[in-house]
Amino acid sequence: MKDSMRPLTPLEASSIPCTLNGHEINLNVPPAKRLLHVLRDDLAMTGTKRSCDIGRCGACMVMVDGVPVNSCLTMAYQCSGKSITTIEGVSAGGIDPIQRAFLEEGGFQCGYCTPGMIISVKALLDHNPDPTPLQIEEALSGNICRCTGYGGIKRAVQKAIEWRKESYESESISG
Amino acid sequence: MAANAQGVAEAPFVWHPRSAAEAWQLKATLGAEGVFTAGGTLLRTQWESGLAAMPNHLINIGEIEELHGLELDSETGTGGFGAMLTLSDIRTSPQVNTRFPLLTEAARSIAAPSIRNLATIGGNVLSMVGDSIPALLIYDPVLHWHDGSNGLKEPLSEWLSTAPVHAAWKERLLISIELTQPTMDSNTKRFVAYHKVGRRDAFTPSVVTAALSMQLDSDTRLSDVRLALGGGQTIPHRLETAELFLNGQLANKKTITEVYALILEQYEPKGDAFVPVSYRKKAAANLIASELWKAVR
Repeated sequence: MKDSMRPLTPLEASSIPCTLNGHEINLNVPPAKRLLHVLRDDLAMTGTKRSCDIGRCGACMVMVDGVPVNSCLTMAYQCSGKSITTIEGVSAGGIDPIQRAFLEEGGFQCGYCTPGMIISVKALLDHNPDPTPLQIEEALSGNICRCTGYGGIKRAVQKAIEWRKESYESESISG
Repeated sequence: MAANAQGVAEAPFVWHPRSAAEAWQLKATLGAEGVFTAGGTLLRTQWESGLAAMPNHLINIGEIEELHGLELDSETGTGGFGAMLTLSDIRTSPQVNTRFPLLTEAARSIAAPSIRNLATIGGNVLSMVGDSIPALLIYDPVLHWHDGSNGLKEPLSEWLSTAPVHAAWKERLLISIELTQPTMDSNTKRFVAYHKVGRRDAFTPSVVTAALSMQLDSDTRLSDVRLALGGGQTIPHRLETAELFLNGQLANKKTITEVYALILEQYEPKGDAFVPVSYRKKAAANLIASELWKAVR
């Protein structure tokens, strides 16, 4: 290696600083370990589900810096300095309106895909509170459900949009 | 070294170079033991499925600032796309959509938002079969590499024709992809289209991926026709014979019938157990013919 170069040291096992559900932490894990396994096996946060392992089903969806990513495809080092939100973080302050909408509209049957669905919907609505049906479809195109046929899920998303709008309007009036 | 349930090693060394020169030097030192990683979405699926072994060293190129740029020059009509731009960056950029709409549409149709938040344009190109490639080919793309010396520029079509058999490119680092907007002749309108045909809407290799761009004058005479096809394991390429045939022709039933036959004859896709060559040819010819009809209407 050239002498003029900054000395480089590889990361094998080290401390990876990040924020998890609002708490600053250091992940002491191999840097290429999948975030899915870090969450479930090292941190015992089993709300994030393991399924296809190749980014096709969306059961393992989490948010990193506010955008959805498949935790089965994300390596620990890719989270360095970033903010991770899991399904546990979404409900940390009580049941989220999106979760309530899924419950009330029957947006699940076995429930295995639901945490991933909730994360994708939350990422969408945080970014775009009033999406078109096409935008909803695109946002959920990486989440597969093998039970519901998607009708209940679509209703749940619409209900969540309505509730968030009502909540925003009532806050505006009272504010 | 730790391994997951599939036996995939989880503890390679991960290097974090801060410049293209550092990354290239690392690769030169590590040789086949080291692999450049960006979003890592394709690599991970290859490791999990056993198509490739996880290497002992990963060279993370995500922290190299010069790979993240998006430079659009309205005077020259060119665009420089850093290899580390994610497909989401491209999908959501209004400027890219205005100047290179086929690329926006391609980015929209690749995988799902969560994958596009990680996957990069550089990775999609270097897979050789990425669905961004037919769209890129419409815009005279040039690859800019760091090769340890003064840098290397190479048209994407040239690289695609040699990359499968000559692996020397794996020692280089892709820096950016340069595109050029087609110019417009007066009294013409430009028609563009991008289509993927697959067995499902998403997450399945497409049967055919087609991109086209052409000018029509008021008599529907065609000019500057650009057609690119790919899909599945077919390495995308421009259909130069069909382009040559269409340039100067009126877009009418006779022309469309003839170009349909020409594509059936000349296009050479790769077939597989699910979709044979003959079906892919027919799907490609149908797609191009139907887009020509739409353009005329």
